[in-house]
Amino acid sequence: MTEQAPILILLFPFLTAIFVALLGAKVPAASWPLTIASLGASICATLTTLIQVLENGTIRYYVGGWAPPFGIELRIDGLNALVAVTVATVAFLGAIYSKDRVESETENKGPQYYALYLLLAAGLLGIVITGDAFNLYVLLEIAALTSYALLAMGNKRATLAAFKYLIMGTIGASFYLLGVGYLYIKTGSLNMVDIQEQLIANGLQDSSTVQVAFIMITVGLWVKMAFFPLHAWLPNSYAFGPTTSSSIMAPLVTKVMIYVMVRMVLTVFGPVYAFEVLDWGNIVVWLAVIAILAGSIGALAQKDLRKMLTFLIIAEVGYMVGGVWLVDETGMTGAIYHIISDAFMTLCVFLFAGIVFAKTGARDIYAVDGLFKKMPITMIGFIVGAFSLIGIPPTAGFFSKWYLIQGGINSGNWEYVIALLISSLVNAVLFFRIIEIAYFGKKPAEGHIHHHGDDHTKISEAPITQLIPLLGTAAIILLIGIFNKDLVAVIQDFLEPFNLVAGIR
Amino acid sequence: MKFLGLLTVLITGFLLIQAERDFPDWGDVNSPASSYKLSQHYITQTFAETSVPNMVTAVLADYRGYDTMFETVVIFTAGIAIIGILRVFGSNIKPDHPEVVLTKKKPDLIVETTCRLLIPIIQLFALYVVAHGHHSPGGGFQGGVIFGASFILLALARDLQYAQQWVPENRILNLAGIGIFIYAGFGVASLLLGGNFLDYGVLTAIIPGDVKDAHSHSMLGVEIGVAFTVTAIMFSIYSSLSSNGHMKEGI
Repeated sequence: MTEQAPILILLFPFLTAIFVALLGAKVPAASWPLTIASLGASICATLTTLIQVLENGTIRYYVGGWAPPFGIELRIDGLNALVAVTVATVAFLGAIYSKDRVESETENKGPQYYALYLLLAAGLLGIVITGDAFNLYVLLEIAALTSYALLAMGNKRATLAAFKYLIMGTIGASFYLLGVGYLYIKTGSLNMVDIQEQLIANGLQDSSTVQVAFIMITVGLWVKMAFFPLHAWLPNSYAFGPTTSSSIMAPLVTKVMIYVMVRMVLTVFGPVYAFEVLDWGNIVVWLAVIAILAGSIGALAQKDLRKMLTFLIIAEVGYMVGGVWLVDETGMTGAIYHIISDAFMTLCVFLFAGIVFAKTGARDIYAVDGLFKKMPITMIGFIVGAFSLIGIPPTAGFFSKWYLIQGGINSGNWEYVIALLISSLVNAVLFFRIIEIAYFGKKPAEGHIHHHGDDHTKISEAPITQLIPLLGTAAIILLIGIFNKDLVAVIQDFLEPFNLVAGIR
Repeated sequence: MKFLGLLTVLITGFLLIQAERDFPDWGDVNSPASSYKLSQHYITQTFAETSVPNMVTAVLADYRGYDTMFETVVIFTAGIAIIGILRVFGSNIKPDHPEVVLTKKKPDLIVETTCRLLIPIIQLFALYVVAHGHHSPGGGFQGGVIFGASFILLALARDLQYAQQWVPENRILNLAGIGIFIYAGFGVASLLLGGNFLDYGVLTAIIPGDVKDAHSHSMLGVEIGVAFTVTAIMFSIYSSLSSNGHMKEGI
């Protein structure tokens, strides 16, 4: 069955979702084990696919047995095999965390939650593995619809925020669809590889329709990934939705959109078209610089722990968009590497925020007061994630930032390098403030008085279903960091045919 | 803010006009979309490959059946999402506003009789639209919507609870799931028989006839699956929205 692995990646969560939705009314308790089992099976399928890709190169799976461009193909190369493994793993870890929290945070709608959760995972996995531009849109719809619902299932404030997200997300998706429509008018094809072949064969480099298609697709995806200044929907919806929902959406949705952007630039339009014919120059890098700085400043202004983290996502999106538009192989490597490492470190800190919220019921950063004594293991997990966001070796964040900075230097985009360093410093300030509060307590003077008589603080760790995903994520962050060479080798193998020499322009 | 909005609209409008400048002429035979091998293949080969005269149906349910399966899932997702957001479980949770107490009147004679006459015809027509998708415009989505409308008419003419006697909430959800299982079932069956997902050709082992017939019959099968889901979700969305998620008194 290994040749069927690509479709199984998506079939496991998809069919289980329907099953959970049906069974939920009668046996709600079965939802969680089924979710875990199906996502576990999906991880196995993604790993099988990754191994096959590493051994035999790109996999092309023809759905329905129709050869492209007549049918839809799933096209898996080094890039999306890695992203698929990431998506499945993050979804799996997030699902484990959901167990204790979902009932209280979604008003006893566990089965509906798990069904939507699995559909979101299936949608994101489908986006990642498909080789068809329109199929990507269909799965984008599934991922978007489930996202709105998962966020709106929380309290009233979350519902309003999710409604704003719905408006923005729909506009973004419409722009993408319009762009694909224009491409179809000019090429007559919807298959990604075939579109590029037709663009070159028909000499459509100067066609204004294709140029507008590129702009529409890029801007649509920027809305979807919350690239500053199109980010307004993100902070409130992720900060006020159920912690279980934001623990899958914060790491995955924006990162998968960045993957789609990379895919559009490299596979659909081709780097020559995106960077040479349509020479936008440094505009996008400057936009990314503004995004990084705006995200960092926004994060500094927040007292609400989860809201602070949402602003960090906006900064991280700036890293990756900038990294892609550095037009440098090292920069692109860094951007792709950062998709993977950022997914895990965002998951790590969001899980921590969820655990703190579950334990204390408070949302602001002072809720972590004295947590080193109460929850030492949780804090260890958090510190790994925080160090990775700051960029301290040997965590994954250090290496991905290293490649991004290297790319910035190679291509001479010093403004980007400086923005990245400032943002890392801001992250250090933010996280060491939390670590300080967790270690020394709220106010230094008060902490001093309690210093000797603190023996009554008992260790009360988070439940095991919340600890396992947190520590698992922390371990993965370290593993991605330690085995950075192998990961970079896979990414560079993928990038080699695109010939992204430094300073292409 | 208003100025920014205007600016965005103007820029978008400018872009759309820019894009239009390079369009092929209206109805141009030589436009890429009509002359490329993709459309040519669909136009010339569809009947030979699938024995379905309506090539739109063939593209929808066979060549791009994977898309259509997920379009069905989009509809299913919408139904589950609305239940997830709106539905209030249990009786102890008070509604946001005082419940409207409807005095049980004898239903109006004219309305009652009209429904009695209309509903069977609507449902029969829905089945016709589903079954006739091979030859004329139609298929699972359209037929499903029409079928769902018949239940909505029932709920509007009497009340939601009366309609729910015929189609209770859990049964309607089961119906929606079964629809997707029917569609995905054709895919999984072809997986198990050694083909790719949704490769109807290998289903000759269980469907009588040759490869072409297998394609044709499977398309009818998946259209029926779509119709199940669309019917059920239409009514489910109506009942959730019209009763504020309480599933009691509707409009």
